[in-house]
Amino acid sequence: MKKNRKYHIKTTGKKTLEKWFRLMTMGRILDDRAPNYLKQAIGWSYHAPFAGHDGIQLAIGQIFDREKDHLFPYYRDMLTAISAGLTAEEIIYNGISKDLDVAGGGRHMSNHFAKPEWNVHNVSSCTGNHTLHAVGVARAIKKYKTPGIAISSQGESSVSEGYVYEAINGASNEKLPVLFVFQDNGYGISVPKKDQTARRKVADNFTGFRNLKIMHCNGKDVFDSMNTMAEAREHIEEHEEPVIVQANCVRIHSHSNSDAHDLYRDDFELNYVKEYDPLAKFRRLLLRYERFTEEELDAIEEKMKEMVRKAHKAGMAAPDPSPESIHDFVIPEPYIPDKYTDGTHNYDAESKKLIQGLNETLKAEFRHNPDIYIWGQDVAHKEKGGIFNVTKGMQQEFGKERVFNAPIAEDFIMGTANGMSRFNDKIRIVVEGAEFADYFWPAMEAFVETTHDYWRSRGQFSPNITIRLASGGYIGGGLYHSQNIEGSITTFPGVRVVYPSFADDAAGLLRTCIRSRGLNFFMEPKALYNSPKAATPIPDDFEVPFGKARIRREGEDLTIITYGNTTHMCLEAALKISGEDGSGVEVIDLRSLIPLDKETILASVKKTGKVLVVHEDKVFSGFGAELAAQITDKAFEYLDGPVKRVGSTFTPVGFNRILEGAILPDTDKILKAARDLLEY
Amino acid sequence: MKKTGIVFSFNTHKTSKIAKRISEAFEDTAKVEMVNVEEIRPEQFLGYENLICGTATWFDGELPNHWDEFVPDLEDMDLKGKNIAIFGLGDQKGYPENFLDGMGILAELFEALGARLVGFTSTEGYAYESSGAERGGQFCGLGIDYETQGSKNKERVNAWVEKLKLEFR
Ligand SMILES: Cc1cc2nc3c(=O)[nH]c(=O)nc-3n(C[C@H](O)[C@H](O)[C@H](O)COP(=O)(O)O)c2cc1C
Ligand SMILES: Cc1ncc(C[n+]2csc(CCOP(=O)(O)OP(=O)(O)O)c2C)c(N)n1
Repeated sequence: MKKNRKYHIKTTGKKTLEKWFRLMTMGRILDDRAPNYLKQAIGWSYHAPFAGHDGIQLAIGQIFDREKDHLFPYYRDMLTAISAGLTAEEIIYNGISKDLDVAGGGRHMSNHFAKPEWNVHNVSSCTGNHTLHAVGVARAIKKYKTPGIAISSQGESSVSEGYVYEAINGASNEKLPVLFVFQDNGYGISVPKKDQTARRKVADNFTGFRNLKIMHCNGKDVFDSMNTMAEAREHIEEHEEPVIVQANCVRIHSHSNSDAHDLYRDDFELNYVKEYDPLAKFRRLLLRYERFTEEELDAIEEKMKEMVRKAHKAGMAAPDPSPESIHDFVIPEPYIPDKYTDGTHNYDAESKKLIQGLNETLKAEFRHNPDIYIWGQDVAHKEKGGIFNVTKGMQQEFGKERVFNAPIAEDFIMGTANGMSRFNDKIRIVVEGAEFADYFWPAMEAFVETTHDYWRSRGQFSPNITIRLASGGYIGGGLYHSQNIEGSITTFPGVRVVYPSFADDAAGLLRTCIRSRGLNFFMEPKALYNSPKAATPIPDDFEVPFGKARIRREGEDLTIITYGNTTHMCLEAALKISGEDGSGVEVIDLRSLIPLDKETILASVKKTGKVLVVHEDKVFSGFGAELAAQITDKAFEYLDGPVKRVGSTFTPVGFNRILEGAILPDTDKILKAARDLLEY
Repeated sequence: MKKTGIVFSFNTHKTSKIAKRISEAFEDTAKVEMVNVEEIRPEQFLGYENLICGTATWFDGELPNHWDEFVPDLEDMDLKGKNIAIFGLGDQKGYPENFLDGMGILAELFEALGARLVGFTSTEGYAYESSGAERGGQFCGLGIDYETQGSKNKERVNAWVEKLKLEFR
């Protein structure tokens, strides 16, 4: 305690002290009672007790200003949430997963307290990944020049995660108003912090970062925590740079109710962490310095017990979420085109290349809506605009605030897109998720997280993001410049996935993606960027709705379902077959994988009775497996043969062109399979 | 030598042992009184002209609660004319980044309040990375490391007390 600081046991007003004591007492009662709900099989099966973190959690909640700040608490932050304003009822509704849970109606795990309405964000269980979201929303705070800061809170062990380093690097580089709090209780479950990093104070690992202040405080002490957090906030506002606060805490109990800490902590330790109980210390101080009498404190404690009792009753009477509601809020309603309702046109003009279609659509949308942003690696440096120049000229026209490079950190690119779109619902973000789809894997945790934000928050937060990725092979690119990743991506509910094969569809789908709420995955067949085969006339205002396949060639004898690079091969094969024996091969270009145009597929299957599914990705566990299964399920009686598939072998894509040719599908392989099926 | 108070927490384990050893080292030459910092009142503290304050360091560089909770009272004191010697306990191997920091925190506070600090000792014989108790190559008191150099306690305490006998008034 230092006398010249803002808060002090001798000088802080009695009302304030009382408020703190009430919040801490109520928090502690709830923290102590939470395990009872599990014992009685009511719920709250995940509870990570905060006892021992009381000082810093009180302080985080107290400096949070719901009018202008954004708070990202973690699973141990019950008191943080209470101090930020959540009521005992709201804590219990979340704890026992009731429909009234303001975080998201019992959809997310217990002890994940949130109130999106106040920007107390609903965060992942993936430890510390919300550091990226805090950085993203702080980017918006800075760009829109609004007051406020983003506060991210986590344990010290999860700082080991690579994305935390990416987040802090980004905040330091962009000089963003972020307050990172590390609540240090010495453990990550049972792992002592010495197994995480060489320094005992992980915050000091960041001493070499520029534009970053590092502060330490005693998280078990209310005054030191309040003062440090207030000073941290002042520093951010004055110096316009991020701060890390590492708060020393103790974990009085086990990590959570599935942990038994006596397996790895001896009696000496179990005893001293109790002795250092922050609430007991605060109480002693209030009495020692005669700010309150024993009777006054007893009365407050009684009142808080009564409040919690009432909240418990409300919790027990609260309704559960209904099983029918599970399909609500998987993804928001998309933008519905009103002119090109089926995503086709008869526009006649000079053909444009696919890359030009993308570039012009991006520019048109950026002119149309001032709240669109794009970033990624190499997207904007002088004449270079994207690794394939898709964003050429954009920074010149729209400026560095809206079009900018990102560090080589895909998780950061994706995670900050999620964060920035939390600022408001108007913002639309386009990211080049990676230079090649092959490099999107480092971003997967942020992607997965983003797919379920809308559902998890029960529609309270929609990440409005389009991820563009140059995908696929046929360029002699080898293992890391040839991948198609839709087989993995389409396993996640909460994202639309599109993969055009012609310039007009690329332009039309991109426009629809950017205008829609929700998450879109936009795969670009990079081998076709400049190909005359994919070039088409493109109406300036073209739009393609989601879930509308396009029949690129009609036929009566065989249906080929495809998308992306292989659409062109299928069309060649169909042409050849019709020239040879007059058989009619219908070629359906799916364009959008999620949502899927089941009607067009089924109508065609019913007509032809034979189906060949073709895609560039591996046959084994590729998206075609889902198509084949659905067709068999829904149209078995119309089939005159097995649903066959053509795609890559179950190998990586080799670099040598001979290997690449042996692995990827081509027109000859499609022709052979089509003939076999026609003859079946 | 005037009446000397040894102030520390009676609830501690190792700090108490060292306090006892110190008082024994004074033997007949001094009137030494043991005072429990957990219950101390400001008048009591101010009643001594010579003080020996003992603290361990806890939790990566923190002053233990028993001292920390007395600090708001200390801050209002005028310690001009007081001679204060501090002994600190720490673990140089387990906590090399914050060795004996608690001793440094007390030293800074007492000095700012006008006290004269006595009983500085050499840092020779200790190995650590950084210490809040270090002042120009010396410790601002006596450093005791029970965990890794317990066998040196006796010799260190005795030498320190001899020094204090000269430095106290
Ligand atoms: C959790 C914990 C943290 C500690 N932190 C430090 C430290 O930062 N610096 C240090 O020199 N010693 C540290 N120590 C070592 C103690 O100061 C040492 O064990 C001392 O002998 C304890 O004395 P006591 O039993 O009288 O409290 C720590 C010990 C524990 C158990
Ligand atoms: C990415 C990820 N890996 C592992 C886990 C499992 N896990 C849950 S909590 C936890 C420990 C985190 O420790 P720390 O960050 O110090 O916070 P504390 O729980 O101690 O407050 C781990 C490993 C997880 N939730 N997310």
